[in-house]
Amino acid sequence: MRARGLDTLDTLGATAALSLLLLVAVLASLALGDAYLTPGAVGRALLGRGDELARTVVWDIRLPRTLVGVAVGAGLAASGVAMQAFFRNALASPGLLGVSAGGALGAVAALALGGAAASLWTVPVAAIVGAFLATGAVLMLARRGASPEHLLLSGVALNAIFGAGTSFLLALSAGQFQVSGQILFWLMGGIENRTWEHVWVGLPAILVGCLLMLPLGRPMNLLSLGEPSAQSLGVDVKRLRWQLIALSTVLTALATAVGGVVGFVGLVVPHLLRLAFGPDHRRLLPLSMLGGASLVLLCDLPTRFLPGGLRLGVMTALVGGPFLLWLLRRNPC
Amino acid sequence: MLRAEGLTLGRRLREVSLHLEAGLMVAVVGPNGAGKSTLLQVLAGLLPAQGRIRWGDRDLARIPFLERGRTLAWVGQESHAEFAFPVREVVAQGRHAWGDDGQGVETALATLDLAELRDRPITQLSGGERRRVFLARALATGAPLQLWDEPTASLDVRHALEVLHLAKRLASQGSTLLVSLHDLRSALCFDRVLVLDRGGLVGFGPPEQVLTPELIHAVFGVRAHTAEALTLEL
Repeated sequence: MRARGLDTLDTLGATAALSLLLLVAVLASLALGDAYLTPGAVGRALLGRGDELARTVVWDIRLPRTLVGVAVGAGLAASGVAMQAFFRNALASPGLLGVSAGGALGAVAALALGGAAASLWTVPVAAIVGAFLATGAVLMLARRGASPEHLLLSGVALNAIFGAGTSFLLALSAGQFQVSGQILFWLMGGIENRTWEHVWVGLPAILVGCLLMLPLGRPMNLLSLGEPSAQSLGVDVKRLRWQLIALSTVLTALATAVGGVVGFVGLVVPHLLRLAFGPDHRRLLPLSMLGGASLVLLCDLPTRFLPGGLRLGVMTALVGGPFLLWLLRRNPC
Repeated sequence: MLRAEGLTLGRRLREVSLHLEAGLMVAVVGPNGAGKSTLLQVLAGLLPAQGRIRWGDRDLARIPFLERGRTLAWVGQESHAEFAFPVREVVAQGRHAWGDDGQGVETALATLDLAELRDRPITQLSGGERRRVFLARALATGAPLQLWDEPTASLDVRHALEVLHLAKRLASQGSTLLVSLHDLRSALCFDRVLVLDRGGLVGFGPPEQVLTPELIHAVFGVRAHTAEALTLEL
C-alpha cells in the first residue's frame, strides 16, 4: 500500500501548502493598505490591544473585507467544482446557470432605486433576492428532471434576461452620475468597504454550504465519469444531482450578494488544482476552497494601491482570462 | 435468477419477457435500433419502463441504490471521459457499494490486461482500452448480474476473445450475463441467444436452435451460410 501512503502524503502536503498560502494572504490583507501595519501590530490589534488606530483599521475595515473575501473565494471555487462535476465539463463555471446575473440584477435594481443610502443591508439583501429567484428557476427545472443540456440552455436564457434588465437599469440611471458609478462598481465585483453586515450575510451560510459539499466528493468522482454508470454502481444520481445544483447555486448566490460579480474564480481555481493534484473530488473540493479564498484575497491586494478602475472583478478576469486561453491552447476542444 | 415480464418502453421495447436461471450467459442480438441497449438499461434500472423485473424473489426496482450496486453491474457503450482519473481509481470505483474496500480490484485489473496501464490517466487511453477499464470496474463489483452493452465493439480480436472467455468463466462461477453483440458468430458460443427486432423479442433459446438462416434473414435481411470459414481462438 505504498501508493496509498504516498497519495495521503500528497494530499496532506497540498492541503498544508494551500493553507499556508491562505494564511499569508489573510495576513497580507490585514496588514497592507493605505496604512501599513506590521504583522505584530496586526496580531495585537486582533487581540484588542495596541493603539486605537490599528484596532479600528483591523476590526472595522480590513477584517470584514478579508472575511468577505474568504467567503466569496471559497464559495465560488466550491461552486465551480460542483458545476464541473455536474456538467462533466472542466469549463463549466458558477455563472453558467444565470445565478450571478440574477444577483447582479437584484443589486443593481436596489442601487438604481437609491437603496444604497437607505441601509447597509439593502444591496446585499436585494442581491440575495435576485440570485435566489434565479436559483429557484434553475432548481424548478432541475427538479423536473431536466437534462444537463436543458439546464445549460436555460442558463443561457436566464443570463440574457437578467443581463437585459441590468443594462436597462444602467441606461436608465445614466444621468445620475453617482448611482451609475455605484452600479458599475458593483458589476465589477469588489470587497472594499465591506462591513460586518456583509460578513454575517455571507460567511456563515457559505461555510455551511462548503461543509455540506465536502462529503459529496466520492460520489462526484463516479458522477463525473457518467451518470448511468454512476447509478449502476450504487449512487442515487437524481439525489446527488439535486444536491450539487442546490449547493452550487446557493453558494454562488451568497458570494454574489456580498462580493458582486467576481468572474473566473470558480473556473480557474478548480481547473488549475485539478491539473496539479489530479481530478479526485475528495481532494479537489477542500483544496479549491482554500485556493479560491487565497486567489480572491491576493487579487484584492493590488486594488488597494492601483488606480480606482482596477477592481476585484477586473483583477480576477485579468488573471483568469489569459489562463483560460492558455488552457484552450493546451487542450484544444 | 432473473425474471422480467412485459417490459415496455414506448416504441423502443415492446412486451419483452424473459426468464434466466443463474449461471447463464446470454447474447443479445438484433439490428441497429432493435432495442438491445434499451433492454440492458431497463434491466439495470437506468431507464423507467412498464413491466416487472424480479431478481431472485425481489422486485429489482425496490432494491435500494447501494444494494443494487452490489447486485448488478452495467457497462454502457459510451466511453468518453472528461477528467483524468488514473485507471486503477476508476476500477476501484466498482467497490463503491461495498464501502470502497478495494477487494478484487487488482484481480480485475489483471484479468482485463490492464496491469501496465494502472497509473495512466483514463483520458489518454484508446477507446478499446477505456472499454476494458469499464469492464474491469464492472468485474470488480463482484455483482452476480452482469449487463454488458457491446463490450467487444472497439476491441482488437485478442481482447475481444478474452472478454468472451471472461464472460464464460463468470457464468461457470454462477453469474448471470447479458451481453449485446453484433457479431453473430460470437453469439454461437453463448448458452442462450436473445433476438430483438424493433423492440420486440423474436427469438430466445440455445444459439443453434435460434440462429437459423430463416430467422437471420427475417431479422437482419441477409442470407446465412454455414460453410467452413476462418475461426479464431486464443
